[in-house]
Amino acid sequence: MVSPNPQSESSGHRFQRRGFSFERAIRFFFASNAGLTIFILLLIIVFLLREGLGFFPGYRRELEVYRIAGLEFVDISRKNLSAHEQVTSLLNRAYQAEINGKCYNELLRSQEASALYSTFSDQVGPTRDLILNNPAAATGGDEGMLAVLRANYEAQRAKALTNLPASPRLSEAERQELIDSLRNRPAEAADEPPLVAKLNAAFAAARQSHAEPLQKFRETIDNFETAGMDLGSIVMEMTESVTATKEALQTADILEKDRKTLLAAAANAKDPIEREKLIADAKAALAEKPDYEGPMATLMEKKPDCLKLHEQLATSVGEIFPSLPGSLTQAKASRYLNAAKSAWPVLIEDLKATPGKINSWTHTDPVPLSAAFISFLTGKSWVTGGEWQDFYGLIPLAVGSLMIAIVALTIAIPVGIGAAIYVNQFAAPREQALVKPVIEFIQAIPSVVLGFLGIMVFGTILREISTLDSLNWIPGFPIDERLNIFTAGCLLALMSVPTIFSLAEDALNNVPAAYAEASEALGASRLQTAFRVMVPAAFSGILAAVLLGLGRVIGETMVVLLVAGNRIKIPDFSEGLGAFFQPSHTLTGIIAQELGEVPLGSVHYRALFVIGITLFVTVLGINATAHHVLTRSKK
Amino acid sequence: MNATTNSMQESPEKPAASTSQARSKSAVQIQNLSFSYGSTETLKNITLHLDRNAVTAFIGPSGCGKSTLLRCINRMNDEIIGTRITAGKIIVEDIDIHDPSVDVVKLRRDVGMVFQKSNPFPRSIFENVAFGLRMRGIRNKAVIEQSVEESLRAAALWDEVKDRLNESALGLSGGQQQRLCIARTIAVKPLVVLMDEPCSALDPIATAKVEELIWSLKKDYTFVVVTHNMHQASRVSEKTAFFYMGEMIEFGETTKMFTNPAVKRTEDYISGRFG
Repeated sequence: MVSPNPQSESSGHRFQRRGFSFERAIRFFFASNAGLTIFILLLIIVFLLREGLGFFPGYRRELEVYRIAGLEFVDISRKNLSAHEQVTSLLNRAYQAEINGKCYNELLRSQEASALYSTFSDQVGPTRDLILNNPAAATGGDEGMLAVLRANYEAQRAKALTNLPASPRLSEAERQELIDSLRNRPAEAADEPPLVAKLNAAFAAARQSHAEPLQKFRETIDNFETAGMDLGSIVMEMTESVTATKEALQTADILEKDRKTLLAAAANAKDPIEREKLIADAKAALAEKPDYEGPMATLMEKKPDCLKLHEQLATSVGEIFPSLPGSLTQAKASRYLNAAKSAWPVLIEDLKATPGKINSWTHTDPVPLSAAFISFLTGKSWVTGGEWQDFYGLIPLAVGSLMIAIVALTIAIPVGIGAAIYVNQFAAPREQALVKPVIEFIQAIPSVVLGFLGIMVFGTILREISTLDSLNWIPGFPIDERLNIFTAGCLLALMSVPTIFSLAEDALNNVPAAYAEASEALGASRLQTAFRVMVPAAFSGILAAVLLGLGRVIGETMVVLLVAGNRIKIPDFSEGLGAFFQPSHTLTGIIAQELGEVPLGSVHYRALFVIGITLFVTVLGINATAHHVLTRSKK
Repeated sequence: MNATTNSMQESPEKPAASTSQARSKSAVQIQNLSFSYGSTETLKNITLHLDRNAVTAFIGPSGCGKSTLLRCINRMNDEIIGTRITAGKIIVEDIDIHDPSVDVVKLRRDVGMVFQKSNPFPRSIFENVAFGLRMRGIRNKAVIEQSVEESLRAAALWDEVKDRLNESALGLSGGQQQRLCIARTIAVKPLVVLMDEPCSALDPIATAKVEELIWSLKKDYTFVVVTHNMHQASRVSEKTAFFYMGEMIEFGETTKMFTNPAVKRTEDYISGRFG
């Protein structure tokens, strides 16, 4: 049959495609959507790299200025100085802790009495102020108004007295005495109620009496503190001179950058007059190269003094050590004392090594690009916008993120997987129908709202609980900061439980029902079936769930920004597990907090992008691993 | 031989521990059993006594309730929501298995089951056979090893797998997997072995091996085999029960049923007129 259809002469054979069909258009539309997502991902990567990679040359230059201006030289001495200060502070804390620990009861009694008094004052305060500072009262005028105020005051006082906080350490009689004295107190009285004054005095006396035997320790601390003073003053002097050099160098750098911008603009300018003008501007902007050799020579004149002071300090620190008390009675005080004692040899060692460092230091050493990399990856401080020197070190942020992730996963893994096993293996259908949506609903709560919960409820309650005497044995209790790693970790756990739960439950669901049937037919109990057959069979799925939960935890921003406390410092691990109750900053939080405030294109701005790249790579790695584990388990 | 369809035998209710007493000839007695799934009655007033150390076949068209009855015997239907026994009882080794004092886990230790589709665990061959023993808390390695070997030998699988006991069971062929499942079931020495169309997914050679296996093991176990395959029923079983629409139509000696069935419908089914 070759006879063609007469109607389709113009457009070839009737089997042939004609024009652009509707179906193809739809297909093209969906294909372009899929392509767009890939394109956007590529765009993000390119953008991150473009903004971020400029960081390393910029940071290298900053480090170079840090060296040639002599800041690095000063920091050698300053490092010892701050180590010395830290030991001083440890000793002081030991001293205070010893005394406060011994008169703990007096301290709490006085605090309770003061708390009663101040609660009372807060409640009647405004009316009392009105009575005392009434301009009419001074002139003896408006008696009627004053009478109304006084009546108000009496009413408020009566109410306030029924509404006082508990005072477990005051006897009933003492409390009554205080309340009576407040009741009979004239509005004008300014001095403290007698019981408050008495307890304060008792506390002061107790402090005094406990301080007596520690007299020698106090002297030792003072000697130690004085020993570092000379070094402190020379560091201060040097600081001033090098800061000036640094500023000059930085100004020159900025001018140079401007000039380059102008020249670049000139090269692109089409109008000859404008080009001339730009070139002229550029020439005017040519700064003379600031002299850093001169100030450096002056700085080097201080070198002998500096060396001498270090030797002196090393000797006196060594001499003071034997006069430290062998032990203290209070546990907390002993801990501080021991920390100081263990820091002692390190301090001496450092002091002795310093002259060598000072002598071998020269400002002409080149700063390679790798130094910027190393300083970023292993830097222990993230200092920005300071007067001294900016440092962009990843470690404090990474440690914060990691510790929060550890807390979060320690809580979320057992809860999420436990819930998944229960719901999948043991729950009645009605329980399943209730529990699953509820857990998954948590995921829908905006993280800012959870942050509120964290600050207002969780942080506050946790700190209140931590002050209970019976919980004193937990490391880190009582908690100093309401917002800390633990609070953030708990909230993130709450946020990652749904992720872990859903995926782990899916993984258990994907285990063939035949396994459970076979196991039960072999006489395994429900529990044995769940843990010996189902969980091992779903293991890789559960592992993937945990990894995706980890990815969520690391990448979460809002909650940690609100709740982690945002202190950029490596937590003090001398507190042991108590380090988890310290505030911290995170990789995600720092970007959210600082990106809005940094000048566009500055080194700091670029540093934040490099943090972004680090996060991107980390989370990508985690998710890729999870994906790999998951696809392997499906085979 | 009591080739009965409706005889009511009064069996005394006795506590679980009655092993010393003379055991009745029937390993499993099903008495007036009715069973519902949702609102449909899928088994209607079934009474059936299964002989000890014999092979009984359940035959019938799809949906006749033969698998359901099989799963009632070790209470596998407990796991299915909406099912319940509406009347009658099942007595295994002289105890009503629905008695509240019965631990279903212990019941299943004595009433093992082999499924239609072979379902070895994703573990080694050795661990598959050892699973039931381990679930009973047996830790002794020598005991487990010996038992695994015996079971694999009994299942005629030992020579094929003895060199790769630690390889995944999922690497075995379909027929080997099914024999492994049988080995796994008999490793725990049950009294009754229930088989739900054990050969429906196997090729003729593998089927022949499994049938041989059943025949050789029947001296030690009581077998109940659900099958779609008339020839298989006639080959392996001594007695056959024919089910239709949830009722048991006929029960008797296999040879008699296949040569001279008492009921017309049985004859129709066996000769392939329906089903």
